[in-house]
Amino acid sequence: MITVGRQGVVLVGTLVIVASVVLAALAPALAPVDPIRNDLLARLAPPMWMEGGSARHPLGTDTLGRDVVSRLLYGARVSLLVGFAAVLVAGVVGVALGLVAGYYGGRLDDLLMRVGDVQLAFPVLVLAIAVLSVLGASLGNVIIVLGLTGWVTYARITRAETLSLRHRDFVEGARALGARDAAILWRHILPNVLPPITVVATFSVARTIIAEASLSFLGLGIPPPAPSWGAMLDEGRNYLTTGWWLALFPGLAILALVLGINLVGDWLRDALDPRVERGM
Amino acid sequence: MAHWLTVLLAGILVLSTPPGTDAQPPTVDGVAIDPDAELVVALADDTNNMDPRIGMGSIRSNYIRQVFESLVDVDREGKPVPGLALTWKPVNDLTWEFTLRRGVTFHDGEPFNADTVLFNLDRFFRRNLDRWGIKDVAAGTSFEKVYPFVTRWEKVDDFTVRIHTSEPAANLWDFIGREPLVPRAWTVKNGVEALNERPVGTGPWKLVEWKRKNHMSFERNERYWGTPGLVKRLRFVVIPEAAARIAALRAGQVGLIEAVPPLDAGVLSREPTLRVTSAIQKLACRLYLNGRTKDAYESGGRDGFYADARVRLALNLAVNREAIVQKIFHGLAIINASPVATVAYGYAAQEAYPYDPARARALLAQAAGQDGPLTLQLLFPTKHYGQAFDETVPAVVEMLKDVGVQVTIKSLDFGTLLQTLTKGTLPPNGGFAACRTSNNLDADDFVRDWATTTLINWTPYPPELMTLYQNTRRSVDPKKRLALLADLQRRVRDWAPVVSLYQEAKAYAHSTRVLRFSPTQELNMDFRGVALKK
Amino acid sequence: MARFLARRLTHAVFVVWGVVTVVFFILRLTGDPAAFLVDQTATREEIAHARHLLGLDRPLHVQYLDFILAVPRGDFGISIQQRRPALPIVLEHLWPATAELALAAIVLATVLAIPLGVVAATHRGGGLDHLSRVGSLFLQSMPSFWLGLMLILLFAVALGGLLPAFGSGSLRHLILPALTLAAAPLAQNVRLIRSGLLEVLQQDYVRTARAKGVAERGVVYRHALRNAAGPFLTVTGLSLGFMLSGTLVIETVFSWPGLGRLMVQAVPGRDFPVIQAAVVVFAVVFVLVNLLVDVVHGLVDPRARIA
Repeated sequence: MITVGRQGVVLVGTLVIVASVVLAALAPALAPVDPIRNDLLARLAPPMWMEGGSARHPLGTDTLGRDVVSRLLYGARVSLLVGFAAVLVAGVVGVALGLVAGYYGGRLDDLLMRVGDVQLAFPVLVLAIAVLSVLGASLGNVIIVLGLTGWVTYARITRAETLSLRHRDFVEGARALGARDAAILWRHILPNVLPPITVVATFSVARTIIAEASLSFLGLGIPPPAPSWGAMLDEGRNYLTTGWWLALFPGLAILALVLGINLVGDWLRDALDPRVERGM
Repeated sequence: MAHWLTVLLAGILVLSTPPGTDAQPPTVDGVAIDPDAELVVALADDTNNMDPRIGMGSIRSNYIRQVFESLVDVDREGKPVPGLALTWKPVNDLTWEFTLRRGVTFHDGEPFNADTVLFNLDRFFRRNLDRWGIKDVAAGTSFEKVYPFVTRWEKVDDFTVRIHTSEPAANLWDFIGREPLVPRAWTVKNGVEALNERPVGTGPWKLVEWKRKNHMSFERNERYWGTPGLVKRLRFVVIPEAAARIAALRAGQVGLIEAVPPLDAGVLSREPTLRVTSAIQKLACRLYLNGRTKDAYESGGRDGFYADARVRLALNLAVNREAIVQKIFHGLAIINASPVATVAYGYAAQEAYPYDPARARALLAQAAGQDGPLTLQLLFPTKHYGQAFDETVPAVVEMLKDVGVQVTIKSLDFGTLLQTLTKGTLPPNGGFAACRTSNNLDADDFVRDWATTTLINWTPYPPELMTLYQNTRRSVDPKKRLALLADLQRRVRDWAPVVSLYQEAKAYAHSTRVLRFSPTQELNMDFRGVALKK
Repeated sequence: MARFLARRLTHAVFVVWGVVTVVFFILRLTGDPAAFLVDQTATREEIAHARHLLGLDRPLHVQYLDFILAVPRGDFGISIQQRRPALPIVLEHLWPATAELALAAIVLATVLAIPLGVVAATHRGGGLDHLSRVGSLFLQSMPSFWLGLMLILLFAVALGGLLPAFGSGSLRHLILPALTLAAAPLAQNVRLIRSGLLEVLQQDYVRTARAKGVAERGVVYRHALRNAAGPFLTVTGLSLGFMLSGTLVIETVFSWPGLGRLMVQAVPGRDFPVIQAAVVVFAVVFVLVNLLVDVVHGLVDPRARIA
């Protein structure tokens, strides 16, 4: 049973996500200035309620004179895009591999799980820099890297579900009726896999947004001048005392969005599949 | 005659000091100091090696030059002064002679003499390594390739060395003289790896402990030949984050920090318990442009777009350097249109490039012959040269866009940039941002950049500049050479091989307890004569 | 049991071998450390010479064979940046620095989580439970380095050096980095313990124990915790991997001289021997911990051994 308080919290989370998406989508219309254009003379202007600030730049400007509000809005696009796209990549790859491994079993299953184990023991950083230095750091490549490092969890869950469903009555029945493997996987097994996957995916989006920020912090993220919250945080870390607004606002933005996503994911977990709480 | 009188007086003075009382505490400028103190200095990074042959970049120099010294020393104004050598002069067009300082010993007691110098020269030029029984190391500078005209060296007596060249070499005193020297017998006995682990030099500080990436502790060399440090121990601690360094200084956990970011330098200078100092460095930051011909790199059959000097000059006119110096560096940088750093020997001031976007556009229109507007793919190594550099390059890109150049920035890590340059895969419309510093005192180290095919030479000298450059190398007469260098610098300024951005000044902050510290224009800090208040 | 152990061990060796091989080839296909050894003004011949001295101009399969045969001896080659054997460098950084940090964080994340999780479970639906849920989600929602930076600002700057901003060497230095590293796992563990407890608390045998009149406290701690330990252990094993990568960022922020910071510096500098050694050490630690977790889990819960 979900108490009123619980419902309120989830509502807040959903509101935050929806607001982020809307703001991100409307960024070109809402942003006061072009987020990439730099203006050296307006460098490091504080937020408008402080001395030296102006309404032209409500939350101040960064080290290159770029407007913080505009960069926050456009940065929302980047964070949301990276978060969802990377999880999509990881999810699609992971679920597909998990379905195959669980359904067909045998050597294929063994191989896939071993590869997954190797991947889990693999430090993300080395993989990140290897891929990013070969292909060059860009939005697309960051998505690929973050996606590639995430598929294993999805594969494992899918495989576990597939294994337990494989011999159930309705599946055997479908097979007896002559249905092809692909149809069985698609129509009967996949829908049962989706609920736990969705829960995991939701939390993954949150973690990916944070991972993108960490990559930027280590200098491997989406390269400038593209506005991304992680890059803004990274820039701001050298100005914690003299330009605190540079690190504070993107930090709060990440916190708000990720918290919202986590709240929704938490609720989803209770609603969709309490079993998932175990061991995940 | 006066000697015995002095001794007598000294003896009376000594004897008249009542036993049991401490002698007067030592003072510096009238302030009592603690001669047994430890000065803790925070640096941004650790050194990877202590063997000078392996490399002497700006970080490593700081560590290496506390322990090792070179024939030529530098004073606080950047002028060459006697170090391990007392004099150096050309005895004829093809021979230089160094007279060495006497009475100098390495930290383990091994005497410094001509044999030491000959051994080091063998190491520099990779000669006789088998005879000495030491291994070759991948060296920062391969002397035999960069200075192939140095032919042989010999000792005239225990404290005089002569070096012979196949052509006149005007700046030999610099490129040989500034290289730190290692002990001969110790290195042969212990091997070059040991030299890297437990370095033994002649310098004012002995290495006592080295915990990698953490700290390095030095102790004062009590038998040092020159001005000693006035603290007993020196400890370099590694604090990569600038904010953490400043926090550590404020909290009193360290006494001195280097690499203070420009904005923080201003804030710190207003604090009464701290002092901020700065000095112009030889670090010159530029945009390098692809002006090579198609057979000089992996071009896919196309010449570099930036071979035309007018285009490069136009780009130079598009940069608002004043704004960069004021807004990004808060005055901690200077504008220099000469390829040579202002503090180098042989520098001749050049007319600054005016900030004239209109004229830049006109020049670009004039030189236009390619299809469409000028494009530039700029490779930008981030997080390598510091925060201010990372902020300058995008600002400069904006300025170039303003005059109609379509610039795309490609951020990458420094290693990838080096690889691209090594393989020669810069695109025809490519360029990169990089900084050039120097371990040497002479202007030659700067103007030789465009004389040979190196990683960063993408605009090689045309024949007339090449000849002029070679003449500067060969003129042994100082006055004539300075004139030639000045001429070369003027022409290079007009020929504009690169887009010069700024020359950096480095800021240091220390507590007011630290006395007599002044930053040098070299890559290293000098702690001789530095004391800590009691 | 012995068969189970043997199987897991072979599996572990395979995983480590897999990681090492992949890293080996990725490094050599994407990087060239030779360019770092020479001046910017170097020529191609000098770089080729440097590459030759490093042994990197030999054919790949020769290099690989040399490498893989040397690994069991503990010989990972000589660090390109530091000119001394790579494995000791890595181990130096692992112990005590990173080990200290990781252990402190795990202890914090576990020890603090148990009472908090129990409170949340026993006060289910109430204000405390609510608070713990939002609080824990809060902690999992911020980038760890941001938390670290804010803590530095607070404790080292604003409060005037109450805790040191950098370095290691004393308990005081350990507090901030360990707290920062432990924050997210702690939050996650609280949730896990709470949900694991809740699930078990509703089961029949617990109700029986309650009906028998065994004290509430006893019911909770003795029966429920032991059974909720299973999933908790699994997740701890997995989260160790995330914690190890967390140290990369935390050690950079706090200038902690550990393995994470070593990696962050070795990778851009293409120091192959150190990177390879570090990756192997990471993998071995990760695999061993997971093996240990599996064994303990197998001991505690026989059902788990069939996996």
